[in-house]
Amino acid sequence: MKGLWDRETVALMLLAAYMPLALFWVWYGGAQTLVGLGTAVLCLAVWNLVFMLARAQPPSFAALITALAIAMLAPEDLGALRMVLGISFGAVMGELVFGGWGRNVVNPATVALSFLGFGFPGFAWPGFDDPVIWAAIPAALIGIATGIMPAAVLAGAILVGGAALALGAPVAAALPAAGIVLVLLVADPVTSATTTVGRWMNGGLYAGLVLVFATGWSGAAPVQMAVAAALLTSLATPLLDEIAITIWVAQRRRRHGRN
Amino acid sequence: MNALKFGPGLIPAFPSPRTSGQAPTEVITQEAGIRTPSGPSLRVNPLVREGDIVGQGAAVACLRDAPQVQFVAPMPGRVARISLHPGRKLSEIVMFHETAGDVVQHKRPDVNTPAGLRNLMQTAGMWPWLRRRPFGGMPSTGESPAAIIVMAMDTRPFAPDPRQALEGREAAFERGLQALSGLCDGPVFVCQTSGTDLCAPGVGGGQVRVVDVTARHPLGSAGFQVHALAPATIETPVWDIHAEDVAALGDLLATGVLPMSRLVRVAGKGLRESRLVRTQPGADLRELTLRAVAPGAHRLMSGSPLDGHEAHWLAPRHRQVTVLPRAPKGKPPHWFVSAITRSGLPRPVIPTAALTQAFGAALPAVALVRALGSGDDETAMKLGALSLLEEDVGLADYVLGGEAHLAGLLRAMLDRVRTELAP
Repeated sequence: MKGLWDRETVALMLLAAYMPLALFWVWYGGAQTLVGLGTAVLCLAVWNLVFMLARAQPPSFAALITALAIAMLAPEDLGALRMVLGISFGAVMGELVFGGWGRNVVNPATVALSFLGFGFPGFAWPGFDDPVIWAAIPAALIGIATGIMPAAVLAGAILVGGAALALGAPVAAALPAAGIVLVLLVADPVTSATTTVGRWMNGGLYAGLVLVFATGWSGAAPVQMAVAAALLTSLATPLLDEIAITIWVAQRRRRHGRN
Repeated sequence: MNALKFGPGLIPAFPSPRTSGQAPTEVITQEAGIRTPSGPSLRVNPLVREGDIVGQGAAVACLRDAPQVQFVAPMPGRVARISLHPGRKLSEIVMFHETAGDVVQHKRPDVNTPAGLRNLMQTAGMWPWLRRRPFGGMPSTGESPAAIIVMAMDTRPFAPDPRQALEGREAAFERGLQALSGLCDGPVFVCQTSGTDLCAPGVGGGQVRVVDVTARHPLGSAGFQVHALAPATIETPVWDIHAEDVAALGDLLATGVLPMSRLVRVAGKGLRESRLVRTQPGADLRELTLRAVAPGAHRLMSGSPLDGHEAHWLAPRHRQVTVLPRAPKGKPPHWFVSAITRSGLPRPVIPTAALTQAFGAALPAVALVRALGSGDDETAMKLGALSLLEEDVGLADYVLGGEAHLAGLLRAMLDRVRTELAP
């Protein structure tokens, strides 16, 4: 008698949720996107194989999600060598050395993209066609409906982003890329916050950082800002969870006199 | 349509054939096995010898360290076998039913005092029906709990409805509650599904409080009610007891005879028809499922599909028998596949809404699971793990595909905490 929600099932459902985004991106991007995706998948497969043989770490379908996120968001025309370098750094240092998907503290795709961004600043960041941007919405809805994406993270980000827009902050240009990064990187169930309060703060912090970058970081591309915000947010996530748990424990202590 | 309503918890669905009729049938099995409650294994002194004839309710063994706590015969019968593990730890005492046997009536000289009531419960064999938290097992003889949780609901799949078990026994139930309120200074909570209150207001001088709980698992599990109503800590233990046993206490106080029948549901995919029976504790599971099992190999489990274990006798406190078809043994996997898939256990847990709901959205589930997995006992205690026992995390273990081994991790954590911190 077994339930459904083991690691690989969740990885496959997450992959299914990202399908609208991936299909529209491939459809509008053409064969070039497939080359990038293939490179990323191949590189991650090799590293997963290495860790499987060296550390007996079971490989995960989540590598495909990482590959998709890197292929979609990486700077353009990097060339195979730089891509492989960035992906290897992200996958190994961001995920595999911690014990594989599920034990990582930062999203390997975020690490790889940040590495590529900092390491090779001369390359242009990608832009997205409108249908691809809109496809992020069904991806998020599937993720929320099946419970594999934290709804509060998305809600927190939308709340802060919506408030900024309503107040007239100049963030409209950064919004599409920020939305895609939110769905692909920030709403990852493993590395986002795990408590409800922490998730609201997590989403809010991401949107807040995008807002800060959009207003103060001149010359940066929207995807670059969003990836940088995602990296900083994921580093702050354990702190947000700690705050949320401290509040929860304090509330229980007040109610029961003990916990 | 209940499954579509919003609320904490889950309604796990398992296949089982229909129950024939709503009324339970009385079944006293020809054999019964007396075992100690789960928890630390207890050292006992047998009080009878093999071949002796004993009446229902007669003491057959007592605790070595506290002789007043006795284990009693669930039916009149002959003692067939007494088997002890090394260290005089009780394995089981098997009895054969004898129709001619008598029923032991206990004297009730001073049951209005807490000490007298304790004494009666211990000598009449009711003490093992209580369970304490933290750590599980029955309470020590002189322990005074911070609160008592009476479970008048059970949300495990196939569980019999305690309301049905209490039908016609309302007075005994109230008498039992009144008595329980004398055992502790704190509140006595009666957890029930929404509906008419199971006891009148003012019972036990206002000490007894009725709590309506959502009828979704695991909220009907005692651990989550302890967690919500009166968290158990090392200094403040909390007891829990089933409502039917409280009614039995009421009967014991009124008549001096401890009723030895409980409402038990026999269900599961391996049956041709489910049954609702009234039977004795320690009943023989093979006899309870006789002529009802579907052809083919099957597993007989005492308890629910989520937290039960294969057994010969109905375990103490259990009110369910689950019969599942035994999966045929497949070919062993290739050594390479085993090397890859069986390493790195327990597997990482991915935070999903399913995991949160498997803990009834009552606590930061992911933080608790991670603390248990990494052996961070301090955090686990802070998050309320001392209120929980293995059966409470049965649903989470099931939902996570059986790879997380939460029940084992929780037990290991409780054992460590007991060795290090408990007096």
